[in-house]
Amino acid sequence: MKKLLISLVSLAALATFAGCGEQPQTITAKPGTSAAKPDDLPYGEGKLYADRNAWQLQLRARADTQNEYKRFN
Amino acid sequence: MARMKFICDAERCIECNGCVTACKNEHDVPWGVNRRRVVTLNDGIVGAERSISVACMHCSDAPCQAVCPVNCFYKTEDGVVLHDKDLCIGCGYCFYACPFGAPQFPQAGAFGLRGKMDKCTFCAGGPEKDGSKAEIEKYGRNRLSEGKLPACAEMCSTKALLAGDGDVLSDIYRERVMRRGRGGDLWGHATAYGRPDTKATAPAVQSIPQKS
Repeated sequence: MKKLLISLVSLAALATFAGCGEQPQTITAKPGTSAAKPDDLPYGEGKLYADRNAWQLQLRARADTQNEYKRFN
Repeated sequence: MARMKFICDAERCIECNGCVTACKNEHDVPWGVNRRRVVTLNDGIVGAERSISVACMHCSDAPCQAVCPVNCFYKTEDGVVLHDKDLCIGCGYCFYACPFGAPQFPQAGAFGLRGKMDKCTFCAGGPEKDGSKAEIEKYGRNRLSEGKLPACAEMCSTKALLAGDGDVLSDIYRERVMRRGRGGDLWGHATAYGRPDTKATAPAVQSIPQKS
Protein backbone atom coordinates (compact mmCIF):
# COMPACT_ATOMS: atom_id res chain seq x y z
CA MET A 1 0.00 0.00 0.00
CA LYS A 2 2.84 2.34 0.94
CA LYS A 3 4.63 1.51 -2.31
CA LEU A 4 1.52 2.30 -4.31
CA LEU A 5 1.08 5.60 -2.48
CA ILE A 6 4.70 6.59 -3.14
CA SER A 7 4.31 5.68 -6.81
CA LEU A 8 1.09 7.68 -7.08
CA VAL A 9 2.63 10.72 -5.36
CA SER A 10 5.69 10.47 -7.61
CA LEU A 11 3.51 10.25 -10.69
CA ALA A 12 1.40 13.17 -9.55
CA ALA A 13 4.54 15.23 -8.87
CA LEU A 14 5.93 14.30 -12.26
CA ALA A 15 2.69 15.31 -13.97
CA THR A 16 2.51 18.55 -11.98
CA PHE A 17 6.04 19.68 -12.74
CA ALA A 18 6.15 18.42 -16.32
CA GLY A 19 5.16 21.83 -17.66
CA CYS A 20 7.66 23.74 -15.54
CA GLY A 21 10.74 22.99 -17.59
CA GLU A 22 12.02 25.85 -19.71
CA GLN A 23 12.58 24.61 -23.20
CA PRO A 24 14.78 26.67 -25.53
CA GLN A 25 12.48 28.41 -27.97
CA THR A 26 15.00 29.71 -30.43
CA ILE A 27 15.76 28.00 -33.67
CA THR A 28 18.82 28.61 -35.73
CA ALA A 29 19.40 27.86 -39.36
CA LYS A 30 21.31 24.65 -39.87
CA PRO A 31 24.13 25.21 -42.32
CA GLY A 32 24.12 22.96 -45.33
CA THR A 33 20.40 22.19 -45.18
CA SER A 34 19.34 24.48 -48.00
CA ALA A 35 17.41 22.87 -50.82
CA ALA A 36 18.08 25.77 -53.19
CA LYS A 37 19.85 25.28 -56.48
CA PRO A 38 23.62 25.81 -56.21
CA ASP A 39 24.50 29.41 -56.97
CA ASP A 40 27.52 30.29 -59.08
CA LEU A 41 30.26 32.46 -57.64
CA PRO A 42 30.34 36.14 -58.61
CA TYR A 43 33.90 35.72 -59.88
CA GLY A 44 35.72 33.10 -61.92
CA GLU A 45 36.34 32.12 -65.50
CA GLY A 46 34.21 34.01 -67.97
CA LYS A 47 33.20 36.55 -65.35
CA LEU A 48 34.23 40.17 -65.04
CA TYR A 49 36.62 39.30 -62.21
CA ALA A 50 38.74 36.20 -62.69
CA ASP A 51 39.51 35.49 -59.06
CA ARG A 52 38.18 36.21 -55.62
CA ASN A 53 41.01 38.52 -54.71
CA ALA A 54 40.45 40.84 -57.67
CA TRP A 55 36.72 40.90 -57.01
CA GLN A 56 37.18 41.65 -53.32
CA LEU A 57 39.67 44.42 -54.03
CA GLN A 58 37.18 46.03 -56.39
CA LEU A 59 34.36 45.82 -53.83
CA ARG A 60 36.62 47.18 -51.11
CA ALA A 61 37.64 50.12 -53.28
CA ARG A 62 34.01 50.72 -54.11
CA ALA A 63 33.02 50.59 -50.43
CA ASP A 64 35.80 53.03 -49.59
CA THR A 65 34.24 55.63 -51.86
CA GLN A 66 31.39 55.83 -49.34
CA ASN A 67 33.81 57.49 -46.95
CA GLU A 68 33.78 61.15 -47.88
CA TYR A 69 36.50 61.98 -45.33
CA LYS A 70 38.81 59.79 -47.36
CA ARG A 71 37.45 60.90 -50.69
CA PHE A 72 37.88 64.63 -50.18
CA ASN A 73 41.05 64.72 -48.09
CA MET B 1 36.63 36.76 -45.89
CA ALA B 2 34.27 39.61 -46.65
CA ARG B 3 31.05 39.83 -44.72
CA MET B 4 28.49 41.92 -46.53
CA LYS B 5 26.44 44.23 -44.35
CA PHE B 6 24.12 47.20 -44.46
CA ILE B 7 24.44 50.13 -42.08
CA CYS B 8 21.93 52.97 -41.84
CA ASP B 9 23.10 56.12 -40.13
CA ALA B 10 19.97 57.70 -38.63
CA GLU B 11 21.89 60.95 -38.05
CA ARG B 12 22.29 61.39 -41.79
CA CYS B 13 19.16 59.99 -43.39
CA ILE B 14 17.05 62.82 -44.79
CA GLU B 15 14.10 60.64 -45.84
CA CYS B 16 14.58 61.43 -49.51
CA ASN B 17 13.60 57.89 -50.52
CA GLY B 18 16.40 57.84 -53.09
CA CYS B 19 17.35 54.33 -51.94
CA VAL B 20 13.78 53.11 -52.40
CA THR B 21 13.62 54.57 -55.89
CA ALA B 22 17.05 53.25 -56.83
CA CYS B 23 16.06 49.73 -55.77
CA LYS B 24 12.72 49.86 -57.55
CA ASN B 25 14.33 51.11 -60.72
CA GLU B 26 17.35 48.81 -60.68
CA HIS B 27 15.36 45.62 -60.26
CA ASP B 28 12.11 46.60 -61.92
CA VAL B 29 10.25 45.71 -58.73
CA PRO B 30 6.48 45.46 -59.29
CA TRP B 31 3.81 47.54 -57.60
CA GLY B 32 3.04 46.46 -54.07
CA VAL B 33 6.49 45.03 -53.45
CA ASN B 34 8.93 47.20 -51.52
CA ARG B 35 12.30 45.61 -51.07
CA ARG B 36 13.45 48.75 -49.27
CA ARG B 37 11.52 51.43 -47.45
CA VAL B 38 12.24 54.46 -45.30
CA VAL B 39 10.77 54.50 -41.81
CA THR B 40 10.51 57.75 -39.84
CA LEU B 41 10.38 57.74 -36.06
CA ASN B 42 9.12 60.61 -33.91
CA ASP B 43 7.73 62.25 -37.03
CA GLY B 44 7.35 66.01 -36.60
CA ILE B 45 9.04 66.22 -33.20
CA VAL B 46 11.80 68.79 -33.51
CA GLY B 47 15.19 67.34 -32.65
CA ALA B 48 13.89 63.83 -32.19
CA GLU B 49 12.85 62.90 -35.72
CA ARG B 50 14.97 60.18 -37.24
CA SER B 51 14.63 58.25 -40.47
CA ILE B 52 15.99 54.84 -41.25
CA SER B 53 16.19 52.96 -44.50
CA VAL B 54 15.08 49.37 -43.92
CA ALA B 55 15.40 46.26 -46.05
CA CYS B 56 16.68 42.74 -45.58
CA MET B 57 19.76 43.10 -43.38
CA HIS B 58 21.23 39.73 -44.44
CA CYS B 59 21.42 38.64 -40.82
CA SER B 60 24.25 36.54 -39.47
CA ASP B 61 21.78 34.02 -38.12
CA ALA B 62 18.84 34.65 -40.42
CA PRO B 63 15.49 33.77 -38.79
CA CYS B 64 13.81 33.53 -42.20
CA GLN B 65 16.22 30.78 -43.14
CA ALA B 66 15.54 28.96 -39.87
CA VAL B 67 11.76 28.90 -40.25
CA CYS B 68 11.43 28.21 -43.98
CA PRO B 69 9.54 24.90 -44.32
CA VAL B 70 10.99 24.18 -47.77
CA ASN B 71 14.57 25.33 -47.01
CA CYS B 72 14.66 27.66 -49.98
CA PHE B 73 17.10 30.08 -48.34
CA TYR B 74 20.84 29.92 -48.64
CA LYS B 75 23.75 32.08 -47.67
CA THR B 76 26.59 32.99 -49.99
CA GLU B 77 30.18 32.80 -48.79
CA ASP B 78 30.04 36.56 -48.26
CA GLY B 79 27.07 36.37 -45.92
CA VAL B 80 24.35 37.46 -48.36
CA VAL B 81 21.04 35.73 -47.60
CA LEU B 82 19.31 34.69 -50.82
CA HIS B 83 16.46 32.40 -51.72
CA ASP B 84 15.34 30.16 -54.53
CA LYS B 85 12.01 31.35 -55.94
CA ASP B 86 11.46 28.02 -57.68
CA LEU B 87 11.12 26.38 -54.27
CA CYS B 88 9.27 29.12 -52.39
CA ILE B 89 5.64 28.23 -51.67
CA GLY B 90 4.68 31.70 -50.45
CA CYS B 91 3.66 30.49 -47.00
CA GLY B 92 4.71 33.74 -45.31
CA TYR B 93 6.56 32.17 -42.35
CA CYS B 94 9.65 34.21 -43.19
CA PHE B 95 7.62 37.40 -43.00
CA TYR B 96 6.54 36.60 -39.44
CA ALA B 97 10.08 35.61 -38.43
CA CYS B 98 11.87 38.62 -39.91
CA PRO B 99 12.47 41.42 -37.36
CA PHE B 100 12.72 43.95 -40.21
CA GLY B 101 9.59 43.05 -42.17
CA ALA B 102 11.76 42.46 -45.22
CA PRO B 103 10.01 39.60 -47.04
CA GLN B 104 7.45 40.88 -49.53
CA PHE B 105 4.70 38.98 -51.28
CA PRO B 106 3.27 40.10 -54.59
CA GLN B 107 -0.42 39.52 -55.08
CA ALA B 108 -0.48 36.56 -57.44
CA GLY B 109 -4.16 36.39 -58.22
CA ALA B 110 -7.65 37.12 -57.02
CA PHE B 111 -8.72 36.96 -53.35
CA GLY B 112 -5.34 38.15 -52.03
CA LEU B 113 -3.48 35.04 -53.10
CA ARG B 114 0.18 35.39 -52.15
CA GLY B 115 2.89 34.94 -54.73
CA LYS B 116 6.46 33.85 -54.17
CA MET B 117 8.43 35.81 -51.64
CA ASP B 118 10.55 38.70 -52.86
CA LYS B 119 13.19 40.54 -50.87
CA CYS B 120 16.40 42.52 -51.10
CA THR B 121 19.16 40.41 -52.66
CA PHE B 122 22.01 42.79 -51.79
CA CYS B 123 22.00 43.20 -55.57
CA ALA B 124 23.41 39.66 -55.80
CA GLY B 125 20.64 38.05 -57.85
CA GLY B 126 19.70 34.46 -57.13
CA PRO B 127 20.74 30.90 -57.88
CA GLU B 128 20.24 31.29 -61.64
CA LYS B 129 23.26 31.97 -63.86
CA ASP B 130 24.72 35.40 -63.08
CA GLY B 131 23.37 38.08 -65.37
CA SER B 132 21.03 35.69 -67.17
CA LYS B 133 17.53 36.68 -68.30
CA ALA B 134 15.99 34.27 -65.78
CA GLU B 135 17.96 35.81 -62.92
CA ILE B 136 17.03 39.37 -63.88
CA GLU B 137 13.36 38.45 -64.25
CA LYS B 138 13.15 36.65 -60.92
CA TYR B 139 15.56 38.54 -58.68
CA GLY B 140 16.69 41.66 -60.50
CA ARG B 141 20.15 42.72 -61.50
CA ASN B 142 23.29 41.09 -60.14
CA ARG B 143 25.49 44.09 -59.42
CA LEU B 144 27.77 42.25 -57.03
CA SER B 145 29.11 40.04 -59.83
CA GLU B 146 29.84 43.24 -61.75
CA GLY B 147 31.99 44.48 -58.87
CA LYS B 148 29.39 47.00 -57.76
CA LEU B 149 27.69 47.51 -54.42
CA PRO B 150 23.91 47.63 -53.92
CA ALA B 151 22.26 50.44 -55.88
CA CYS B 152 20.46 51.83 -52.82
CA ALA B 153 23.69 52.54 -50.94
CA GLU B 154 25.58 53.78 -53.96
CA MET B 155 22.70 56.13 -54.76
CA CYS B 156 22.39 57.52 -51.21
CA SER B 157 23.16 61.23 -51.44
CA THR B 158 24.11 61.74 -47.78
CA LYS B 159 25.76 58.34 -47.48
CA ALA B 160 23.47 57.49 -44.62
CA LEU B 161 23.01 54.05 -46.07
CA LEU B 162 26.26 52.16 -46.36
CA ALA B 163 26.77 48.74 -47.90
CA GLY B 164 29.73 46.48 -48.32
CA ASP B 165 32.30 44.55 -46.35
CA GLY B 166 31.58 44.84 -42.62
CA ASP B 167 35.16 45.81 -41.79
CA VAL B 168 35.20 48.71 -44.24
CA LEU B 169 31.81 49.92 -43.03
CA SER B 170 32.95 49.78 -39.41
CA ASP B 171 35.96 51.94 -40.25
CA ILE B 172 33.80 54.49 -42.07
CA TYR B 173 31.23 54.64 -39.30
CA ARG B 174 33.82 54.82 -36.53
CA GLU B 175 35.51 57.80 -38.17
CA ARG B 176 32.15 59.48 -38.62
CA VAL B 177 31.15 59.07 -34.99
CA MET B 178 34.58 60.24 -33.78
CA ARG B 179 34.33 63.40 -35.85
CA ARG B 180 30.79 64.37 -34.96
CA GLY B 181 30.97 63.05 -31.40
CA ARG B 182 27.53 61.49 -31.30
CA GLY B 183 25.19 59.00 -32.95
CA GLY B 184 27.12 55.83 -32.25
CA ASP B 185 24.04 53.64 -32.07
CA LEU B 186 23.24 51.73 -35.19
CA TRP B 187 19.63 50.84 -35.69
CA GLY B 188 19.07 47.13 -36.15
CA HIS B 189 22.76 46.27 -36.15
CA ALA B 190 22.65 44.16 -32.99
CA THR B 191 19.48 42.42 -34.16
CA ALA B 192 20.96 41.52 -37.52
CA TYR B 193 24.61 40.90 -36.77
CA GLY B 194 24.73 40.27 -33.03
CA ARG B 195 25.90 36.88 -31.93
CA PRO B 196 23.06 34.36 -31.44
CA ASP B 197 23.98 33.92 -27.77
CA THR B 198 23.58 37.61 -26.94
CA LYS B 199 20.22 39.00 -25.92
CA ALA B 200 20.53 41.95 -28.27
CA THR B 201 17.12 41.74 -29.84
CA ALA B 202 15.75 45.21 -29.29
CA PRO B 203 16.55 47.71 -32.03
CA ALA B 204 18.71 50.61 -30.91
CA VAL B 205 15.91 53.15 -31.31
CA GLN B 206 15.87 53.66 -27.55
CA SER B 207 18.77 56.03 -27.98
CA ILE B 208 16.52 58.44 -29.83
CA PRO B 209 15.01 61.02 -27.49
CA GLN B 210 11.35 60.32 -26.87
CA LYS B 211 8.63 62.89 -26.41
CA SER B 212 8.09 63.47 -22.69
